[in-house]
Amino acid sequence: MNRNELLQLESKALKIRRNILRLMKAGKAGHVGGALSSTEILTALYFKLLNIDPANPKWKERDRFVLSAGHKCLVLYAALAERGFYDESVLDTYGALNSHIPGHPNMHKLPGVETNTGALGHGLSIAGGMALGLRMDGLKAKVCVVMGDGELAEGSNWEAASAASMHKLDNMLVFVDRNKLQISGPTIDVMNYEPLDERWRSFGWSVRTIDGHDFEAIINNARDIPFEKGKPSVLIADTVKSKGLSFAEGKVNYHYWKTTPEEMEQAEHDLDAIENKLKEKMERGSSHE
Amino acid sequence: MSEPKDPRKVFGDAVVEAAEKNPDIVVLSADSSSGSGLGNFLKRFPERHFEFGIMEQGITGYASGLATTGKIPVFAAIAPFVTARNYEMFRNDLGYMNQNVKIVGRCCGLTYDQLGSTHHSIDDVAIIRTIPGVTIINPGDPVTITKAVHAMIDHVGPCYMKIGSPKMPVLYPEDVAFRLGKGIVMQDGKDVVLIGTGTVLSKAVAATKLLEQRGISVRLIDMHTLKPLDRELILSAAREIGKIVTVEEHFIAGGLGSAVSEICSQEHPVKMKMIGIGDFYASNGPYEELLGLYGLQAEQISDTIINFLNNK
Repeated sequence: MNRNELLQLESKALKIRRNILRLMKAGKAGHVGGALSSTEILTALYFKLLNIDPANPKWKERDRFVLSAGHKCLVLYAALAERGFYDESVLDTYGALNSHIPGHPNMHKLPGVETNTGALGHGLSIAGGMALGLRMDGLKAKVCVVMGDGELAEGSNWEAASAASMHKLDNMLVFVDRNKLQISGPTIDVMNYEPLDERWRSFGWSVRTIDGHDFEAIINNARDIPFEKGKPSVLIADTVKSKGLSFAEGKVNYHYWKTTPEEMEQAEHDLDAIENKLKEKMERGSSHE
Repeated sequence: MSEPKDPRKVFGDAVVEAAEKNPDIVVLSADSSSGSGLGNFLKRFPERHFEFGIMEQGITGYASGLATTGKIPVFAAIAPFVTARNYEMFRNDLGYMNQNVKIVGRCCGLTYDQLGSTHHSIDDVAIIRTIPGVTIINPGDPVTITKAVHAMIDHVGPCYMKIGSPKMPVLYPEDVAFRLGKGIVMQDGKDVVLIGTGTVLSKAVAATKLLEQRGISVRLIDMHTLKPLDRELILSAAREIGKIVTVEEHFIAGGLGSAVSEICSQEHPVKMKMIGIGDFYASNGPYEELLGLYGLQAEQISDTIINFLNNK
């Protein structure tokens, strides 16, 4: 990936974070922490990795994306809007009666949403069924999943993980958004599933660990699946919860943010600062040419 | 009529028959196919049969995902484990996502007799009935099991079908008309309406004969589809006869009787009697004796109805 592509992705990620703020302004409250920790992952998926067509969201041969941690839906709504699945104005309806973007995603309400998730521990098995069906049909499409690290305490995930390796679903790629925090505190204190890499490996998956905010790491590894032929792949992505908001980064109480005018103003300043840095980088780049 | 038949074998043969015509049918097994009459499916279509071991929650999700790609997954296992165990997956991944998946609870009701309450399924209709969009089918004889399988496959949407375990008497000719959502009037009568379903339909048929011998004329209805319920058939019975008795191998709470009363009490209140299992865990023992313990044998049903008609 060249420098220009990287800057474009960073710019997309910034736009998606701005969209997340737009959603939060509309709804006044939402699961912002996990949405911001997985922003680079979803940006990479929707702008580099997924073979999809916003004009034809049910295209049979498309790659599938399952947001198993459905509460991270702010980033999904933000990314789908930016990718052109629907008009951005939809984002202003977050929290409204009968909105097409509820607090957990509903495939019947919005194009581009593949599953109804929200209850944790469902997405991986649904994704496994998709992967199995696509393989039966001889399609090359892959199935990508984003899971939370706190979510991994749901036992149903490990049923799904066992079945994916048993059935050799090497067209699956899971991202574990390891932001290390859940509602009650650090994930390792609430229910410790570390070492995650060894857990997944023992369930028959091929495992790599990356920096979940590093586009090159996300994209180069995701393009390399299956990491081992015949095995499903998992990327354990180390991330920072609420990434991008100075007052909220790495703080457990922003798992679900109830906005205040002061914090919202600060959040906008924070994103402005990111934008200014990005502009500087772009200008530096063009001055070299 | 022919000899009683094994409902699981009848079910499995019907799935194989449907799968010969429909290449989208796949079978998922929770170490449960052989016990569900689907051993022949595995032999005939090994590439369309997927074994998962004992993980009913996971399988329900896999079924949902397979259905998103156009497959028609059939997942049969012991009834409580495909309804109560995986309830949230049934509700969210099949119901809420409206996936074309066919869940089959076998050894339903009390038919896992001596294995006790963990293996009985006398709450499945109550819990699955709350899931919008799910069709619930409870056929009462081998002929209608076969027809129900084909109807279930033809229907697009999530279904739950119940089958028992002991051999079932044949109650219908092969050419009986069967439509999902339409109850069958097995015989007309004028004194009382008796609505039966599933594994105890044959008991309702026998009870009807006993009542006729005692001079009571019975309109006997086979309510093989519990959801959507045949509202018109129930209301016409309520209007024309005015006394309704329901019989089911299920808790009185939330089952057929409850569903019928939800319609009648609001649209045409009538006197009702619900024969089923009360608010307790059923005991264990030989199947027919268990039915007798809960008033589900033909003679008991007949006596209950006579008392009901006599306002006792």
